[in-house]
Amino acid sequence: MSLLRALVLRPMVREKIRTTLTVLGIAVGVAVVVAIALSNQSALRAFRESVDAVAGRANYQIASDVGIDENLLIALQPLWSRGLRFAPVIDIDGMVEASQTPIRILGVDLLSDIHFRDYRYASILSGTSAGGAPAPSPARYLDLFRTDSIIVPATFAAEHRLRLGSPLALSVLGHQTTMIVRGILEPRGPATAFNGSIGIVDIAAAQRQFGMLGQLTRVDLIVPGEEVRSAIARLLPPNARLERPSRRNERVEKMLRAFRVNLFALAGVALLVGMFLVYNTVLISILRRRKDVGVLMTLGASPGQIFAAFLAEGLLFGAAGSVIGIFLGDALAFLILRLIGRTINALYVTSEPQAIVLTPTIALVGAAVGTLLSLIAAIQPSVEAAHVRPSILIRTGLQQRVGRARRSVLAISAVLCFAAAAAVCRLPPVDGISIAGYLAVLLVVAGFSLLSPLIVTVVSSALRKPMRAAWGMVGQLASASIPASLRRTSIACAALALATGMMVAVALMVGSFRETVRVWVDQTVSSDLWLRPAKGLSNADIALFPASIVDDLRRVPFIAAVDPIRGRDVTYGDSIIAVGSGDFDVVGRYGNLPMVTPRSSQPALQDALRRKGVFVSESFALKFHKRVGDSVELPTTRGVERFPITGVYRDYSNDRGVVVMDRGLFIRAFQDDKINTVVLYLKKGVAPEEARKKLEAAFGPKYHAFAVLNREIRAEVMKIFDQTFVITYALLAVAVIVAVLGIVNTLAALILERSRELALLRIAA
Amino acid sequence: MRVRLEHVTHIYPATDESPPVQVLTDVSLEIRSGDFVVVMGASGSGKSTLLNLIGAVDRPTSGRLFLGDQETSSLPESALTMLRRQSIGFIFQFFNLIPTLNVFENVAFPLSLNGRGRGEIDGRVREVLDRVGLPHRATHFPGELAGGEMQRVAIGRAIIHRPSLILADEPTGNLDSRNGEMVLDLIRSLHDESAATVVMATHSDRAASRGDYIIHIADGQVTR
Ligand SMILES: Nc1ncnc2c1ncn2[C@@H]1O[C@H](COP(=O)(O)OP(=O)(O)OP(=O)(O)O)[C@@H](O)[C@H]1O
Ligand SMILES: [Mg+2]
Repeated sequence: MSLLRALVLRPMVREKIRTTLTVLGIAVGVAVVVAIALSNQSALRAFRESVDAVAGRANYQIASDVGIDENLLIALQPLWSRGLRFAPVIDIDGMVEASQTPIRILGVDLLSDIHFRDYRYASILSGTSAGGAPAPSPARYLDLFRTDSIIVPATFAAEHRLRLGSPLALSVLGHQTTMIVRGILEPRGPATAFNGSIGIVDIAAAQRQFGMLGQLTRVDLIVPGEEVRSAIARLLPPNARLERPSRRNERVEKMLRAFRVNLFALAGVALLVGMFLVYNTVLISILRRRKDVGVLMTLGASPGQIFAAFLAEGLLFGAAGSVIGIFLGDALAFLILRLIGRTINALYVTSEPQAIVLTPTIALVGAAVGTLLSLIAAIQPSVEAAHVRPSILIRTGLQQRVGRARRSVLAISAVLCFAAAAAVCRLPPVDGISIAGYLAVLLVVAGFSLLSPLIVTVVSSALRKPMRAAWGMVGQLASASIPASLRRTSIACAALALATGMMVAVALMVGSFRETVRVWVDQTVSSDLWLRPAKGLSNADIALFPASIVDDLRRVPFIAAVDPIRGRDVTYGDSIIAVGSGDFDVVGRYGNLPMVTPRSSQPALQDALRRKGVFVSESFALKFHKRVGDSVELPTTRGVERFPITGVYRDYSNDRGVVVMDRGLFIRAFQDDKINTVVLYLKKGVAPEEARKKLEAAFGPKYHAFAVLNREIRAEVMKIFDQTFVITYALLAVAVIVAVLGIVNTLAALILERSRELALLRIAA
Repeated sequence: MRVRLEHVTHIYPATDESPPVQVLTDVSLEIRSGDFVVVMGASGSGKSTLLNLIGAVDRPTSGRLFLGDQETSSLPESALTMLRRQSIGFIFQFFNLIPTLNVFENVAFPLSLNGRGRGEIDGRVREVLDRVGLPHRATHFPGELAGGEMQRVAIGRAIIHRPSLILADEPTGNLDSRNGEMVLDLIRSLHDESAATVVMATHSDRAASRGDYIIHIADGQVTR
């Protein structure tokens, strides 16, 4: 105990800056891990709960990416007597015009849906008061079936200041409609899904209002047994699937996995830095207390006790850092959630993340990770401490040096690390996650740190002569003292080398990646203007233009060409991919698609037009092992169709895989002529600013269109990119600050040690 | 405790910068239990080396060394640690107090290493601090003490566990003459009160006169 107090506790209290920094280092590492775990959990849970709430009691559903013909219900009817219950559902995204926020529209058969979902009306029409659940009178109930009726959760009504009878302007699938709030739901069941951003309408009304006559998004089922299930399977059209509602969660979770691994790799960097800090701190504390250790051992402290004391130092740093880190992480999670939430929304699905809940599991994992890694980091220096000899009576200097043999071992290991990194790089990704890439980076960093003692020796011996020439004896002593205390300097230098090495490596990587993206964006976003149905930049389906906008735009005199863009998510095997469309002819003449194969896009686009072929993104090609000449099978409204691949292009906006086809082909395949974005090419000499003003004036009122300039899009993409890497930069900055402090610390200790020598020199001179 | 050296030779092995150094050559010597011996010799003659070997801090390159009946030159490291912890007290030229422990804790350290109870430690440390004349300094840290006071604390630490062998390496080397006298008086009277053997290395004739007899080291040889 007094050993611990002498070597660890008192110094920790006395050297507050050192302690604070180390604890903070660990805390940051743990915080990042905890925050990422928390925000991930929250984002996923939000999504899962929404899906569950909307699925209600259904144990199966018939789903399709291209819509289901409602005649399927007639085919299902005979199975009712065998216990099957089914409910037709329209489940689509829309946008609230006033606030430009997403809303999920759930169209159900209000009469039969009671079997599936739990609704409780807080109030209907202008009638009953909130609170209890009085049975609404039949007449009022009937009003809910009117084609302009919508039922919203009480929370949503409060947020948007809606009362019974209030109008609610929506934009759904390109249809601008104003609905009337005729019912308000208590927050339970489906009313809690999507954070309450949900509106329920009668299915017939939904079909009429949103242009889906005869169409369903899915059919929810309560299937009594295996027999009925196989009977249903026989009735299914080829472009539909019979699956558990949870399958959708699984698919989304799989989709988010690569993204999550990336985040945790980031957290790994933070933890590595934290570990490194503990290593550095414990080692420096041992170097500074070396004399005390010698004295204590002379007095009878055993090597084991010394080892345990310093290990305890690591443990203490780890424990303190973990505790702070967990709370810091809880706070940080909120920020990250907004960041992740944005990325998830931009890249994958529309779901509003929920509140963050610090679960015991995550807290425990955070604590374990922080404490364990600190402990591991402290092992090597603690062993070092246990090897101090008690022969302190004679000499106080450091005799230990890195011997020549050890030096060459270090160099060889460094070279081996680099070689291994090069080899590992070539390994294919595991499950779409480039574990090899992370490993290679780690190996390079390790190589540099192994090499740093050598670099110090070489540099200091190279400096000896010039330093002697410049400053005589003092200069020589200074440069000679560095290798003499190599152990110490090399660790300080390794710290800085590691931190700066990491900084440089990551900065280079991110920088070159950023440059690639910039070039790609410049090439891809070559048009002059974009016309969007909503203000924000989002890939989701929440707001759409009707097809008629294209003809209107073509009539504008200063526009040279119009390229309407439409995309949708499609289930491909076990994955969710994006299928996009544009005018291939316009792309060929005006655009500049960055190609992988073939080199030039023009002939490949023509080929696609001629053969009803498609382009796939590089990520799609890699993920599903497809090349030009192969073909993709996609579910369409006409069943499953096969499309030949005539080109592979580069797309950094999407890592799940994209299939792109000509608009004509897309409309035929999916019976969907809506538009997400219109890309506009202006005639020569037309100023984009002018064009934008005129377009917003002409199309704003009719289509709720917003025009965006080319450079704004580019800037926005780069902003998203930079935001994503903010955490990385922050972490690296911490690493470098800590390393510099380590150097200062070490130099201070060195000066302390050399001061006697220097004093002698001063007397002599 | 009786100390006996049989044909002890000590050589510091060569390093990158320096050749091997032979400090002691075939030294045989016996110090009887309860003696107060002074070791004298020029700087670099090997006084500290000899004390290190006797104190089980280092092992001789060859020859045998006995403390009491035990041959320390053949004991394992852990046994040497226990021996130092239980039976030997060390006093150094540069005091070597632990700067992060206060006076009380510094003095108490050997007792707590020996696993004594709190009550015993408390009483014993007060007793010893009284004896070295520093009862009012218990909660001070070494940095707040004068050189003479630090050495008296170090002496307290060296005797707290009632060792049977006390080794003092130039205990007055870093003190002015008044404080040096005080420290020498203290060591002498502590020796007289206990049955401990004392081996003290020194340059000064004044210090040497406090011992029972003097051992001279020169050119690796020991003469009485
Ligand atoms: N660890 C070591 N490695 C190599 N040589 C050493 C070591 N320790 C001491 N020496 C050398 O051994 C010789 C004896 O040293 P020692 O410290 O025992 O002498 P000393 O009589 O105590 O000197 P002083 O009066 O200056 O304290 C010296 O030449 C010294 O340089
Ligand atoms: Mg000496």
